[in-house]
Formats: sequence, C-alpha cells, structure tokens
Amino acid sequence: MKEESLFDSLLRRGVSRRDFMKFCTSMAATLALPSAFSAQIAEALEKKQKPYVVWLELSDCAGDSEAILRSSRPTIGQLVLDVISLEYHETIMAPSGHNAEKSLHDVVKNHKGKYIAIVEGAIPMKDGGVYCTIAGRTALEIAKEVCGNAMATLAVGSCASFGGVAAAKPNPTQCVGLKEAVPSATVVNLPGCPVNPENVTATVVHFLTFGTLPALDKNHRPLFAYGKRIHDNCERRPHFDAGQFVQKWGDEGHRLGWCLYEVGCKGPQSYMNCPTIRFNEGTSWPVMAGHPCFACGMPQSWDALGPIYSRLPNVPGASYQATADKVGVAVVGAAAAGVAAHAIIRASTSKGKQENK
Amino acid sequence: MAKIAIDPVTRIEGHLRIEVEIDGGKVKDAWASGTMWRGLELIVKNRDPREVWAILSRI
Repeated sequence: MKEESLFDSLLRRGVSRRDFMKFCTSMAATLALPSAFSAQIAEALEKKQKPYVVWLELSDCAGDSEAILRSSRPTIGQLVLDVISLEYHETIMAPSGHNAEKSLHDVVKNHKGKYIAIVEGAIPMKDGGVYCTIAGRTALEIAKEVCGNAMATLAVGSCASFGGVAAAKPNPTQCVGLKEAVPSATVVNLPGCPVNPENVTATVVHFLTFGTLPALDKNHRPLFAYGKRIHDNCERRPHFDAGQFVQKWGDEGHRLGWCLYEVGCKGPQSYMNCPTIRFNEGTSWPVMAGHPCFACGMPQSWDALGPIYSRLPNVPGASYQATADKVGVAVVGAAAAGVAAHAIIRASTSKGKQENK
Repeated sequence: MAKIAIDPVTRIEGHLRIEVEIDGGKVKDAWASGTMWRGLELIVKNRDPREVWAILSRI
C-alpha cells in the first residue's frame, strides 16, 4: 500500500486546502524566503511521504516537548510534527519498557540513514555517563547509536544544543550538547529555553522541500532563525534609542513598556527570532511581557552573560549606549520638566476658564 | 522467583525505572529509580537569589 503523504494526512484531519496554503506561505516567511517559494513548499509537502522521526529525551525537563505539544488549538505546524510518523517519544508514546525500546531499535535498524532524530536534553559525560540512563544504556551510548545513524539530527532546546541549564556552573554532571558528544552526527542546533516550535517546523519543512538542511552559522544554528539580533527587532527599541529605561520593577517606565536594558536585558547579545515569531502562536515573548531577555538560546547563557538581572556592561554600538544611565536620567528629567510645564499650562488654562465662568 | 524491569516508564516527565521481584505470582519486593540527575541543587548554590526561579523551573 502506498504510504500516506503529508498533505493527505492533513486533509484527513480536516485541514482545508486554503489553510494548507496559508501554512506554506507562513513557513516561507519564517524561513526568510520570498513568498513565491510557498508554491514549492506546498508541492513538496503534497508529494513527500512522512519522514520517520524519533525523539530522544536525555538530561532534559521535557520543556521542549511541552512547547511543541501544549497548544491552545492544534495548529497545522503542530499537525505536521504530529504526522511526521513519530515512532518514539517517551513522554507521549503508549508502550513502556522493552516494547518502547523496540520501536526505537526498529527505526534505527530498518530506516538507517533515512530517519530524522530530534534530541531534547544534554548529555552527561561525567563518570561514564551514569547520570542519565534509559533502559540501562547511557544517554551518550543512545545518542551515538541513534544520531550517528540518522539522516540528520535536530538538537532542540539549549540543553541539546550547548548543554543548557544542566551545564550551568559548576556543571555537576559535565553535561555537553549533542554536537560535542557525537561530533560525527549531522546536527542542526535549535536552542532556546524552550525551543520555539515554529523554528522546528520550519527546519523540517525546509528539509522536506529542498532536501537539504537550512544554512547554518558557526554554532550550527539556522540563519533564518538565529541570524538577527533581538535588540534590532525588539518592539521596545525606540525606547532604548530615546533613552527611556525601566529602572525598577513596577516603576513608571515599566508600566509604560520602556526598554529593559537597565534591569538586565540581554537582547543586545542575543541572536534569535523571538521578537518576530513570538511564542504561543504569535501571542507574546518575554520582553513583550515585561521581562528582560536572558539570552536563553545563546551558548552557556546562564554564566557567560552574567546574572539575569545585571545590566550588560557597555554594550558596543551607538555612543549613547555607554552612557545609558546619564541619557536615561536626562530624558526623565526633561520629561518631568515637560510634564510640569504641561501641568502649569493646564492649571493656568483651567484657572482662566474658571475665571471666565 | 522472577524479576521484571520496566525501563523506561513512559508518559511521565523524567526518566523512571521500576524493578519488581515476583514470587508465586505475588510482588515480593520492588524498586523505583529516577535514572537522571543534573544536580540543579548544586547549580543554584552561590547564585543571585533572584535568578533561582529561572533555573529551578527547568526541573
């Protein structure tokens, strides 16, 4: 029997042709391709058979699984991930124990070099890797076998990419990212804490459409998602440029949505597409919610950029950045003077009106 | 007497192994092991207390 194509599977699940085309267009946009590519994406997804995928959870918190599975409504992107013949995923699969492991072994054996591995979580290297074992095997052994035989591996989240929170100082179990643990594997890093599901979907779609992995940076991250600086795409950037900074939680600037640089925002050092893609179907992202970015997707972010709530020292770039304190104070002063002047004018006007009565 | 092991226990968050010793159709003894440890307790030691929430919410 011919295997069901991805598009057939979507149709069977009640996705209309129109919604499908909308999805293809949004994927072209996420991948930073001209909209004309949406037709090519659609054609590929209509014809391609569902790729076999195994999802490994190693030293993880399941946050990346949550990010992809927990959604207020099933999006087409989620369905794509759902219909990619997910053969193994500990948190959601029905079998346990030997039967679960059989599913994994079957894919590795029967589809060698043809399946996609998705890895969530870091790999502990200390003491022979005893700090994470599944079915009696260490995370390292499993990763070597499964990722070494995969067509490609997507390291989702910061732990699988760079060690993440598990590798924060003093890194008690000597956790590393997948590429460091299994250098021979073909790896795409999709860091973030958690990963943005849109970027996982887009990477899979790119692979299905063009048969290649997207262009990567030196950290093996796709340029379409990690090529631009958060600071340059932040909706609060005008406040930075105007010297309007939040100084204290809940102060006037915080209520007005001013720039969070002074209270520790690491946006000037972070290369991710959070401001444009956002999370939870484009609803929001940390800075929009009023919290500074803490560079969750950058290598060793828990230690490299200093404490979350400490201001980045002298962000390179425009000259005013080094003197943000002074500019901020000056602008607040000017604003206060403006408010005061306005108040005086209003007072005198209303007084005048009263007198007119 | 027979011993069975279920590892991994799926549909949970985390890694769990259950071993059960059976004698005459009855459970004689059983062991549960969490088979993953990252030492987050050690990671938050000496850190700025204000960022501990961000680390420990990744449990």
